Amino acid sequence: MGELILFKGGQVAAEDSAQLQQLDVLIEGGKISEVAAGLTAPEGAKAVDCAGCVLAPAMFDMHVHAREPGREDKETIATCSEAAINGGVTGLVLMPNTLPAIDSGGLLQSVLDIAAEKSRIPIFQAGCITKGRAGKELAGIAGMKNKGAPLLTDDGDSIADAMVLLRAMEYSKRFDLMLAMHCETQELSGKGAMNEGAVSYRLGIPGIPACSEEICISRDIRLAQYTGAHVHIQHVSSAEGVATIRRFKEAGVRVTCEVTPHHLIFNEQHVGDYDTHYKMNPPLRTAEDSGSLQQALVDGLIDVIATDHAPHTEFEKNSDFGSAPFGITGLDTAVVSLYHHFVKSGVFGWDVLVKRYSAEPRRLTNLQPVPIVEGGVAEFIVFDPNRKTLFSKDFMQSKSSNTPFLDQELDGQIISVIKDGEFLLSR
Amino acid sequence: MGSERTLLSGEGITEKVNELAAQIRKNCGNEVPAFVGVYTRGVTLAKRVKQALQDEWPEIALGTLDVSLYRDDLDALESAPKLESSDIPFGVDGTRVILFDEVMYTGRTTRAALDVLMDYGRPSRVELAVLVDRGNRELPLQPDYVGLKVDTEAGDYVAVRFAEDDDREGVFLNYG
Amino acid sequence: MAETDIKSRKDLLDVESLSIGEIEYLLKTAGPFKELFRRSVKKVPTLRGKTVLTLFYEPSTRTRTSFEVAANRLSADVTNFAVSTSAVVKGESILDTIETLQAMRTDYIVIRHAASGVPALIAKHTKASVLNAGDGYHAHPTQALLDAFTVREVFPQTEKKKILIVGDILHSRVARSTSTIMRKLGMDVSVLGPGSLVPKGRPDYMNAFWNWEDALAWKPDVVYLLRVQMERQEQQFFPSLAEYHRVYGLTSERFKQVEGEGIYLMHPGPVNRGVEIVDEAMTYERCLINQQVENGIATRMAALYWLKPGEDD
Repeated sequence: MGELILFKGGQVAAEDSAQLQQLDVLIEGGKISEVAAGLTAPEGAKAVDCAGCVLAPAMFDMHVHAREPGREDKETIATCSEAAINGGVTGLVLMPNTLPAIDSGGLLQSVLDIAAEKSRIPIFQAGCITKGRAGKELAGIAGMKNKGAPLLTDDGDSIADAMVLLRAMEYSKRFDLMLAMHCETQELSGKGAMNEGAVSYRLGIPGIPACSEEICISRDIRLAQYTGAHVHIQHVSSAEGVATIRRFKEAGVRVTCEVTPHHLIFNEQHVGDYDTHYKMNPPLRTAEDSGSLQQALVDGLIDVIATDHAPHTEFEKNSDFGSAPFGITGLDTAVVSLYHHFVKSGVFGWDVLVKRYSAEPRRLTNLQPVPIVEGGVAEFIVFDPNRKTLFSKDFMQSKSSNTPFLDQELDGQIISVIKDGEFLLSR
Repeated sequence: MGSERTLLSGEGITEKVNELAAQIRKNCGNEVPAFVGVYTRGVTLAKRVKQALQDEWPEIALGTLDVSLYRDDLDALESAPKLESSDIPFGVDGTRVILFDEVMYTGRTTRAALDVLMDYGRPSRVELAVLVDRGNRELPLQPDYVGLKVDTEAGDYVAVRFAEDDDREGVFLNYG
Repeated sequence: MAETDIKSRKDLLDVESLSIGEIEYLLKTAGPFKELFRRSVKKVPTLRGKTVLTLFYEPSTRTRTSFEVAANRLSADVTNFAVSTSAVVKGESILDTIETLQAMRTDYIVIRHAASGVPALIAKHTKASVLNAGDGYHAHPTQALLDAFTVREVFPQTEKKKILIVGDILHSRVARSTSTIMRKLGMDVSVLGPGSLVPKGRPDYMNAFWNWEDALAWKPDVVYLLRVQMERQEQQFFPSLAEYHRVYGLTSERFKQVEGEGIYLMHPGPVNRGVEIVDEAMTYERCLINQQVENGIATRMAALYWLKPGEDD
């Protein structure tokens, strides 16, 4: 340790500055020792030419399915964390809908033990709200809190019984645990496989109406308002969902929310002719909905970007649209795809990306953000907007490649990921 | 493109049609045959020969055949040929039928036409009349009535053009 | 000669992707095939040596038989691939089946499946020509073609003619495909059905009526009755079959009006007498149901004739 590295000629991104700053960054060991324009490399320092590149705080993804334990054929904590590094992400919150579901302190600890051995980045394991995610009895909340659960969630399903949820809120509030909610009204979603509308009609695919999600968002926040608990609405997908969250936020309710890159970038039209890489839950909605999500992200209503990284085998995704599982991977692709679709064209700047995909998710997980400032931790990415990334199967570090970006070439490339002063990735 | 030679003018065609009519009249004696034209220009040829015999045999029945469904080269084609209506408005059983085609070449179309005709019934006799016989047979079939016989190479193309179907009239040999 | 330029395709999966030229070609081609049925020998050698495999994951004696007759009349060898229709067939087994089919080197696959998009999935993975004989709620292109052919027989000019489709629009692949083809042929399309079975996401051109009075006041030229799916009844899209008949069925009274105005009647079969249609309508001279069946064979022959299986490696 103690190696001096000067990142020279790059532009530094920060959550509170719409403009990139032309600054050189000197790190020493795990710390950023100097950030200034026109730095010269001290004796013995290694210089990294960052001309034309962007230096941004490393990302943090608070919605990830690592599939371990139970479905290691799809993903493991090892491959998942490598996919994260590949995508410029240096911290993860794993969802507890594994097999078995993580609903006790003991199980939670076992995942953390695997992570400690297999992952080069910090892993946080969320706990279930209810036992076995069955929506009936409360899970071992105190035990999981004790082992470090940053939040509770039954993600993958909503909690159908409002009384169970109300009790969970009242109970977990005393442990200062937020509840991250997958919002869906099961009876309305039924056997639906995509957004209900013109495209589902054309394809003859049973639809999931947007109100299935919106009604549940409304109910869950209303319960939070009543109990005073903190709810976090996961992967909001529709304009009305956003409007509902806005209304309650304005009323002072403790509610936060997240959006996925795919709901920002795609819409139901992309399903095309039954492309299962566009099948996820909540489903891709209309172009107007994704426009509203982008707007809400720029407005600051949406707190967090999270991928809902959901690996599935090629075999599973290669079946008919109705039978294929919901979900796509996201860790390998998130930063580049968001740059390609939004930052490059100016829909939003690096500040939004840094705030929503690096700083805020860390704050919501009770961690410190990692801004590129003197005295800060050296945990950032070097991003070259002039290079391109081809998302081939070889490129992807996730065990699965169920992403619409498969074999697409997008603008921008993460060329380095630095954490604790070390290069986790260097291309 | 190779060069083109006119084998028959419009008047030449009329002359040959009259010759075909005369041969058929002579050969058939008192037995009035039924005519069947093979799409597209065989139908026109049959109509013209029928017209030439109008005074003596106004009662000649005229049918049409599309042989596309019986072709042996469908697999080799990029697109399925457009189908026309095969229309045989008379009883085939026991009838003397004269098939008309504008050009006889490999014999494969004739083979197909015979197959179609047999699926309509059992004629007493089938004969073949063509405006041009260009040789190069691939099957053991010969026409009974020929307007013009011409030697060609396999790569050549003999184009029969009728005013009814085309924008000009005549028989043309295009060298391959 | 423009019509000869209609290129053959590998698969027939839906109506949506058919161009108007392709539809006209198929309808025109079906004509000569129908004429064959009046010959003593109804068979032509066109597909001699070719194999057609029928793969029905949903039972349908009628459609399968229609395809079999069509294939037989083209001299193809027809094999029925027996698949389990009892349990819900999962996607997994389909991929396995595709491998098997590919190994059999069949030229044409006729498939019906309860899940939308399965024929497209199979088409993507096999060199054989795939004919969709109905998938989920999605498409039933040969039904649409035979319906269009039947309408063209009574209305050679379909432009501006009006068709009213009555029944379960939500779950009907027939409604989807037939309305699409009629629209492409220039017809006005309206639907009539229970509010719970007329989807919001329907196309803009598809005007909806909620009672027969309004629908008949629209002066349709053709009324197309859909089959009431008895098996969907457990989901309660309407209170009872009796109420369905009373409110949305072609009752005796409504039939009298249909007859009086000379409106043509169509139905994809099989008919639930006394539910969507009264008995006496079946013998109405402008009831085209039997023609639809005959035309089904001709249009399926046209489809088989038109499609070209992919090349072997």
